[in-house]
Amino acid sequence: MRRSISQKNRRAAWLGLLPFLLFCLAFEIVPILLLIRDSVFSKAGTLTMSNYKQVLAPLYLKSFWNSIRLSGITALIGTVAGLFIGYSIYRWPSQRIRNLLITLSDVTTNFAGAPLAFAFIIILGSNGLVTQFFLKSLGLKIYPAFSIYSFSGLILAYVYFQLPLMVLLIIPAFGGIKKEWRESATNLGADTSAFWWHIGLPILAPSLIAGFVLLFANAFGAYATAYTLTGSRLSLVTLQIGFTITGEVLHDPGIGQAMAILSLIIMGTSIGIYRLAIIRAERWNRH
Amino acid sequence: MDISRKSKPTASQIIFITLFLLYMIIPIIATYVFSIATRWDRSILPEGYTLQGYRDAMKNPYFLITLKNSLVLSFGSVLVSLLLIVPTVYWVHLKVRLAKPLLDILMILPFGIPGVVLALALVQVYNFAPLNRSPVLLTSAMVVFTMPFMYRSVSNNLEAIDIPTLTEAAQSLGANTIDILVKVIIPNILPGILSGSLLVFATVFAEFTLARLIVGAGFKTFPMLLVEYTRKDGTIAAGLSVISFTIAWIVSLLILWVGGKGMKTSQDVIKAH
Repeated sequence: MRRSISQKNRRAAWLGLLPFLLFCLAFEIVPILLLIRDSVFSKAGTLTMSNYKQVLAPLYLKSFWNSIRLSGITALIGTVAGLFIGYSIYRWPSQRIRNLLITLSDVTTNFAGAPLAFAFIIILGSNGLVTQFFLKSLGLKIYPAFSIYSFSGLILAYVYFQLPLMVLLIIPAFGGIKKEWRESATNLGADTSAFWWHIGLPILAPSLIAGFVLLFANAFGAYATAYTLTGSRLSLVTLQIGFTITGEVLHDPGIGQAMAILSLIIMGTSIGIYRLAIIRAERWNRH
Repeated sequence: MDISRKSKPTASQIIFITLFLLYMIIPIIATYVFSIATRWDRSILPEGYTLQGYRDAMKNPYFLITLKNSLVLSFGSVLVSLLLIVPTVYWVHLKVRLAKPLLDILMILPFGIPGVVLALALVQVYNFAPLNRSPVLLTSAMVVFTMPFMYRSVSNNLEAIDIPTLTEAAQSLGANTIDILVKVIIPNILPGILSGSLLVFATVFAEFTLARLIVGAGFKTFPMLLVEYTRKDGTIAAGLSVISFTIAWIVSLLILWVGGKGMKTSQDVIKAH
């Protein structure tokens, strides 16, 4: 008798979550499920992969290639540079400076989108400060080999928010490398490079993988920075999906839906790998 | 700390940190100086300084309209987020701990959904009046998008205090559920609520993708005005960027300040046991 009451209570307690769950269903889950459904059904209501076949056209394939390349390159630069900068911060003697640098990373990783893009136009646009400085003081013409409005410019702007994110992710991981291990390794005759190769890097590996895939997803889903810098000059997946909504470039909405689902799969895989890597990384920090 | 630190930084440390600082700070300083420079393309330092860019920006009738729209949107999203997330997180911690994994998954989802995809999904489903292309739909999208920030702040704060004990103590003194929530729980998780609200506010205020794609010109926000000016007038665009950067700085510092205090309160609570 008592048990059935508490069971009833427990079931009633779930009702308390109803407003939140309904909100998630209405504005997140159901719209995404309908998007998946629409992407595989034709207007006549038959199951078809034609939307996905159309994505194989050179224009859309190119936008996937550009997005994957941009995300991969900026994630790799962010991961490697973030590792060295993170370690430099972690070993900095003054606690105050360490905290200051971490705070700076915390703030700057949120500086994305239009203001950041415009900041880069100011310094590296065709009349930008750094561009002019190179031209007048050093006689170096960086345009047209480099352009802030092109792929190379996007890399520079994306690394700006990727790098501090990696720094924030990797600093806690250094805590997993115990001083005693370093001492034991030295006592057993390992030099610095041997220590890092056999002990340091394997301990950091899950955090580095987690960082890389998170940075990849971070760049792949970005829209505002690319939109402000390149407009429609460069084809990226997010920009193409945006065009489907605004109707600036006329193409079949089905293609936009298929591209959206494909990018969901890419993002979902990245976030999945990130979660698994984070679980492995946390093992080193537990003790 | 596990790796020993020397008393002085090494040369490679100094080089890495200097390059990092230059990369992170030059774009921001350049924007601030550019916004008050008269002319800055012939010399290393600007030829003169003026506030004309800001005056011109404020003269544009859209300046106040977009600022107001962005503030309404940000405060609206914070309010909805508070009403929706805080009671839910509390309820999960107190009554239905079994639901925590479900909530955790729901909170990871927004990270895996790019803004453009969420916008496309919402625009296609809600293509009827009055929701279509409305600020209400945009607010809902913003709440979904920023849900993890509010959830994590509040949830971490709740973990740090002993809710069942506090709740039982209040119950034994005759308080009802609403009383407990308003007079006992909320004051204890105020730091988490504040830092979550600030994060949501800052994110929504700076958000461009959802605003442009869900509503567009019908409800112009501050970042949309900024993007418009990056193609028209550099000085004004710089002024608007400075305003965005400054708001982001202030909110970040407030979060740090609140967070620091939050740490202290939860420690105090633990000590009090």
